[in-house]
Amino acid sequence: MRALFFTLLLTMTWSPVTQAAETLYEIRVDGLACPYCAYGIEKKFMQRGIVKTFDMDFKKGLVKVTLKDGEEMTEPQLKQLFDEAGFSYRSVNKKAL
Amino acid sequence: MRCLQWTPAFVFLTLTMGVSSVVDAVPITFNTALPVAEGEFIFRQQLRWLRSSDDPSEADRDMRVVATISVLGYGVNSKLAVFGVLPYGDKTLEMNRSGTEIERDNQGLADATVFARYTFWQDNIRGRTFRLAGIGGFTAPTGDDDKSDGFGRLPAPLQNGTGAWDWFGGAVVTYQTLGYQLDGQFSYRHNREANNFDAGDEARLDLSWQYRLWPRKLSGGVPGFFYGVLEANYLHQDKNQRGGQSDENSGGDTVWLSPGLQYVTRRWVLEAVVQKPIYQNLNGNALKNDQIVTTSFRMNF
Repeated sequence: MRALFFTLLLTMTWSPVTQAAETLYEIRVDGLACPYCAYGIEKKFMQRGIVKTFDMDFKKGLVKVTLKDGEEMTEPQLKQLFDEAGFSYRSVNKKAL
Repeated sequence: MRCLQWTPAFVFLTLTMGVSSVVDAVPITFNTALPVAEGEFIFRQQLRWLRSSDDPSEADRDMRVVATISVLGYGVNSKLAVFGVLPYGDKTLEMNRSGTEIERDNQGLADATVFARYTFWQDNIRGRTFRLAGIGGFTAPTGDDDKSDGFGRLPAPLQNGTGAWDWFGGAVVTYQTLGYQLDGQFSYRHNREANNFDAGDEARLDLSWQYRLWPRKLSGGVPGFFYGVLEANYLHQDKNQRGGQSDENSGGDTVWLSPGLQYVTRRWVLEAVVQKPIYQNLNGNALKNDQIVTTSFRMNF
């Protein structure tokens, strides 16, 4: 019973820590103008195997990516990724979740 | 027997089988400069109906073509993309021969086209992109060019292939925003001689305007876009040469106006366009085009 209690306690305390390790990348990108553009970018991110969620906001020119726990991408990596997809990386705003 | 002339409509079909049908073009009737991301494939399948029955001669020719055009493109890098095009055609010609109606037809794989597109200049700003690219490639004589029927050897436009290696080059410009897109393309095609027949060289100018009809207002996410499309195509063809002699019943100028619709998602596109000739100044008795209807599906992977 005591072991179960500590297991539950550990799970409850560990879980928020795990979620806090996730980071939302809001990436400003120029050149996004149609839905067909989106797939090339999404594919580039997914190929890295570190992306948990992917979304875009055309109106704001934003690509929103949540990376898996403990993963991160640097600005040079982001610039290269968008260059390869045919778009222009401008800036990134990282938010801890 | 009167030969079917190699009319601009068939030239246009041949051209669009090769260059135009491709790829990530938002225009439906021609290829353009939207990006194929590095390492990405694009597949496009078109179904095209063409009819030419406006015959100024007594032969009263009526030519119908149904063609499927398969296109595969690959992004070598963010600037260079390569494409392969393989058409299949089903052609039927009805005509009056010495007072008797006859019908001739042919089916099969046509000449394959390979070309590359290189983006020379690109300017991206928020929600907009401007791209300028060069295209160049060749058409290989993969289709049969020596088929015959009970009336003898089929005329050149009824053959599946030309028998010649032809090359072409041009430039494509694209300006795309979230609300609309403008595209323009100029290309020149040099047709070479085969089987004692040399189709006239061709120059064409294509323009396309796509306007987002739905959704009217953008919010978040990646919604599908429904576009209204209006395109214009100009084609000039030199006269053909047969046995070294100029064919006075070939070549000329044609302008098509082409309204269409297009639904674009992030993975696939459905589109259709009707091309109606609004100006045809053809030489001699060259057969005039009625219309070209194209439906298309494409996806990237």
